[in-house]
Amino acid sequence: MASGVRRFFDKILLSATSSERNHLPAARRSNVNQEHEFRCYSVFVARLAIMGMLAVLIGLLTLFTWHFTKVYTRTSLNSLAYGLRYELLQRPILRMWKILNSTVEITTSQVRISEYVIRKYSKAENQAQQVELYEVMRDVTWALFSSRKALNSMSIKYRNGFVQAFHRDLRDKNTYYIYSNLDNYTMVEPYGMNRSSPHDLEWNDQMIHGNVSAIWYREPLDPDTGRKTGKQKVIPPDELINIAGISQVPDGAASWHVAVSKFTNSPLLSAALPVWDEDRGSIVAVVGVTTALYSVGQLMKELVEIHGGHIYLTSQEGWLLATSSGTPLLRNSSGGFALTMAKDSQDEIIRSAAEWLNKTYRHKPPLNHEVHSATTTLGHQRYYIDSFFLNLTRLPMVGVLCIPRKNIMGKVDAREIKTLIILISASVCILVVGCICIFILTNGVSKEMKLRAELISHLDARRKAEASSNFKSQFLANMSHELRTPMAAVIGLLDILLCDDSLSNEQYATISQIRRCSTALLRLLNNILDISKVESGKLVLEEAEYDLGRELEGLVDMFSVQCKNRNVEAIIDLSDDMPKVVRGDSGRVVQIFANLISNSIKFTTSGSIILRGWCENLNSFSNNENFFVDHRALWNAYQKKIKRKGLDGKRTSKNDNIVILFFEVEDTGCGIDPSKWESVFESFEQADPSTTRLHGGTGLGLCIVRTLVNKMGGEIRVAKKNGSGTLMQLYLLLSTPADVPRESYRLKFAENNLKVVLALNGGTNRAILSRWLLKLGVSIWEANEWNELTRILQEMFKPARIESLSSEGVEMEILIIVIDIGMLNISTDIWKEQLNFLDAFSRRAKFGWILNHDTSNTIKIELRRRGHLLMVNGPLYKTKLIQIIEAIIKESNLDQPKKNIMWTDAHAQSSNDSEVTETNSTESFTAYGSVVSHCFPELTDDRSEWDRLTSVPNGNLNCEQQIHQKVKNGQKALEGLHILLAEDNPILQRVATIMLEQVGAKVVVVGDGVQAVETLSIQKVENFNNSCDPPPFDLILMDCQMPKMDGYEATKAIRRVEMESESHIPIVALTAHAMSSDEAKCLEVGMDAYLTKPIDCKLMVSTILSLTKCNNLTLT
Amino acid sequence: MASVSQLQRQFVEYTTSLYNEGYLDDQFTQLQKLQDESNPDFVVEVVSLFFEDSEKLLNNLATALQQKIVDYKQVDSHVHQFKGSSSSIGAQRVTNVCVHFRNYCEEKNLDGCLRCLQQVKHEYILVRNKLEALFRLEQQILQAGGSIPMME
Repeated sequence: MASGVRRFFDKILLSATSSERNHLPAARRSNVNQEHEFRCYSVFVARLAIMGMLAVLIGLLTLFTWHFTKVYTRTSLNSLAYGLRYELLQRPILRMWKILNSTVEITTSQVRISEYVIRKYSKAENQAQQVELYEVMRDVTWALFSSRKALNSMSIKYRNGFVQAFHRDLRDKNTYYIYSNLDNYTMVEPYGMNRSSPHDLEWNDQMIHGNVSAIWYREPLDPDTGRKTGKQKVIPPDELINIAGISQVPDGAASWHVAVSKFTNSPLLSAALPVWDEDRGSIVAVVGVTTALYSVGQLMKELVEIHGGHIYLTSQEGWLLATSSGTPLLRNSSGGFALTMAKDSQDEIIRSAAEWLNKTYRHKPPLNHEVHSATTTLGHQRYYIDSFFLNLTRLPMVGVLCIPRKNIMGKVDAREIKTLIILISASVCILVVGCICIFILTNGVSKEMKLRAELISHLDARRKAEASSNFKSQFLANMSHELRTPMAAVIGLLDILLCDDSLSNEQYATISQIRRCSTALLRLLNNILDISKVESGKLVLEEAEYDLGRELEGLVDMFSVQCKNRNVEAIIDLSDDMPKVVRGDSGRVVQIFANLISNSIKFTTSGSIILRGWCENLNSFSNNENFFVDHRALWNAYQKKIKRKGLDGKRTSKNDNIVILFFEVEDTGCGIDPSKWESVFESFEQADPSTTRLHGGTGLGLCIVRTLVNKMGGEIRVAKKNGSGTLMQLYLLLSTPADVPRESYRLKFAENNLKVVLALNGGTNRAILSRWLLKLGVSIWEANEWNELTRILQEMFKPARIESLSSEGVEMEILIIVIDIGMLNISTDIWKEQLNFLDAFSRRAKFGWILNHDTSNTIKIELRRRGHLLMVNGPLYKTKLIQIIEAIIKESNLDQPKKNIMWTDAHAQSSNDSEVTETNSTESFTAYGSVVSHCFPELTDDRSEWDRLTSVPNGNLNCEQQIHQKVKNGQKALEGLHILLAEDNPILQRVATIMLEQVGAKVVVVGDGVQAVETLSIQKVENFNNSCDPPPFDLILMDCQMPKMDGYEATKAIRRVEMESESHIPIVALTAHAMSSDEAKCLEVGMDAYLTKPIDCKLMVSTILSLTKCNNLTLT
Repeated sequence: MASVSQLQRQFVEYTTSLYNEGYLDDQFTQLQKLQDESNPDFVVEVVSLFFEDSEKLLNNLATALQQKIVDYKQVDSHVHQFKGSSSSIGAQRVTNVCVHFRNYCEEKNLDGCLRCLQQVKHEYILVRNKLEALFRLEQQILQAGGSIPMME
């Protein structure tokens, strides 16, 4: 059984685990599996425990229910049964008692009457009197006998041996009178004869038996009247009845015994009483009465019949007196009938009951008290056995009642078993159902647990994946740093080489080629860094106001050089409604367009690249058929932007409104296959892999662009274009300060009655500009080439017209000739003659020259000499045109003498600078510093450093210029500077010291941050005391990782001290890490700049200069 | 003066081989550039500083890694210092091993650390021998009355 249960549970366990295994992905590691098995096992144990508890509970419940139902019924039934049995037993015993009583009564009354009669006739002298006495006695006896129907016989035996007896034969319902003849009896004194001899009192049967000669007669009588009905018959004595003799009353007291008669089959109760004479001296006669116990048996039979039980009465010795069964009570033995013992009864039940009683109470006096036994097995049945002891002096009797248990408790027992079966089966059902319920419930729980475990493991896996992705970006950042450091060194060394005059031309070319390659490599590294930044979510967009138009124009300026070299026109066409100032991350916006434009340049061999931009207010924005916009996405982005704006509403003014800026970058290159329009924005994806070799590139550019655009709440896609080439459309959501005044040059232009001749090479650009000018109400002439220009000019300045012009006055109209330097034929000397031709008009028209980046100085000088002072670098776009026009208007209005103005663009000084440093040819890197730094990485390893350098307020540009001079001049750049170097590494200490000293700085070296702080504070105190002695430090070079106190802590401490004195000493970090986070950390703690190890001498010097220049410059 | 020029050529070749085999990098060149009349023994000075520092650091590292419970933070800072000083003199290969070393430190990989320590020691001894040889060559040239050719 137990093993079967175990097997069953094993099976469940097995199926559970196997199902679990099925749930698990196959490729799980083993420990996970084990874990699962363990978990499953614990669930299983819990399940088993609950089931076990349920089983115990239900079992107990069943047992108790059964027990109580059983016990209560049983007790009540038992008590009822006991009562019944008692009653049953009591009644025959009572009947017996009654019989005895009545027998005793009748005997006693007979004795009394007999005494009286015999006394009366005691003086009988003759036979007649004697006969009369007997007659009387007969009548008296009859009277008594007939009054008691239950009597079996009544006899009087006189002393003389005469017998008178009445006998009722119960079998044939006859009544007989039995007497002996008188003849044989001598007339003797009935009493007094043996008065003297006491032993005479003892009659014995011998007397009677000795009187064998006596003849007995029997005559039938009418049972009612007692009359003789038949003839008398002679019968042998003692044939019919026992006549009670003297022997039965040996002591003169009444005697009882049970007798047996051969005429009845039931034992008889016989009582004998002596009849005393007058003075009680002697017994004159003995009266005997017998009563059949038949009726008792009858009663018993009736009583127990319905119960199917048995009752019997025994004497104390065990002789059966009466039974409820029909078996004979008498035994036909050799000596006639005899009583049977109960244990010899023919009735099996009685016999076995007697035996049982005997066996149980064998040696003790068993029957003196009552016995009640409820569980005796007799035969094959169980019986109740009760015995009752009737203690009569002469005849103690025992009544025994056997009732089969079945009759009383049979149904109860049957019910009991049924109830038990029902209860057990019900509880088993409940148990099974409960177990199933538990199984299902716990299954649910365990499923939930499993799910939870899986969820946890998934989370774990995700965390791991994230961590590994973090590692990846960390790795990328680290790698890019590790790569960028040597790259920077390479580029720097190349620059040094390029400066060397002793190079041959070939060497120079090779080196510049190497430099270009290095730059490209660095750009690639920067791209990878960007991608990893974006992927790790570290890219945070700045929120700063900037002039979008200017940035884009600068970008185009920068690319124009490249375009010019490739003979491609770079055009920017921004609509007038573009907001001047927008808020956002200028660097990133510029990066977007730089990537797009450089992409276009890469694939465009001829034609033009156009950057268009216009603006829509979101509120007034209506569905533009031409442009794709996912409205929902747009709206979401807008909401987000609004929300963000609300969040940092303190920083941005409330008046900001959000505009959608649409841009198109169009080129006339090879174009992109429509099937690739989506995939070009994926990482490392190029439209045509075969072009990689031709054009290079990693395929990261567009991916970065899209990420950035999406980050700015916009979208980008490739659009369909007429003709060959690519059309990229994108929009950005940018906020603009609402109250930026917009210049209205329109009015000014119209007022001045402008006439413009556009002599430009690029057709597209010219068309755009002329359209714009026309819209402003300016008269336009366009010239494509030199000949056309001359034609136009000649037409305009026909003599007649000139006169009319002069008569009308010069103020009335201003003629502007915007002329591209490319119009001139520079390759030969014709250009001088062309200039001469133009000079003819110089009095009447103003010239604006568009120069190229490679326009040689001789031409410039020549132009200046001839008074053409208005020169701008190409390409021409609106802003530049406006500047030209405004300058001319101003000039003509003021009518000032010609001034030495060199118009370029807003970054006048920077452009100057670019002219000065034009040796760097293609790069022109000093213009638009931050713009350039994204596209053309500089010598500087660190971009922020460069930003710092270039983001110096305009007022200080002079300083910057001088710095450049100084750097170029070399050696003693840091002359007079006092520098504190905090560096723990002795080697670096030494190296840095020498480096700094070589450029003229004075260096104090300390070993850790604590010393640095102390040195500063001491110096400060001394400064207070003696202001001239040790000059204050101009700058601190701070290593980041130092013992005792690292650079960050030291910087913080220094800045804290400074807070009080409101001074600011520049601190430059020195660190071996080049991660942006380190940079951010450095700047966060209050450092001003950031240098990476190993120290690059040039970079260090320029950094130091940029930070100290102004005080320094004022000193020198 | 044939011996001088021979020595000079030998010096140049040796130095070039050092660069080519990656023992040294441009940082060493920068150091050499920094050496002038005011600091005639600058390179030797710095390099011997490096030797001293390295010996100390290597000892520290060895003891730190022999501890029952290795304090990786300390090891890491030692390695960092070593990396800084080696990169400052341009001992490129030592620097590279230091980078690996630090990775193992971050992983708390004792085996890797020990292996790296051996490597670092090996590289350090190599570079020390090379540099010492270089200096000996320099001494010889100077004694022979020649000037040390500048490496570009």
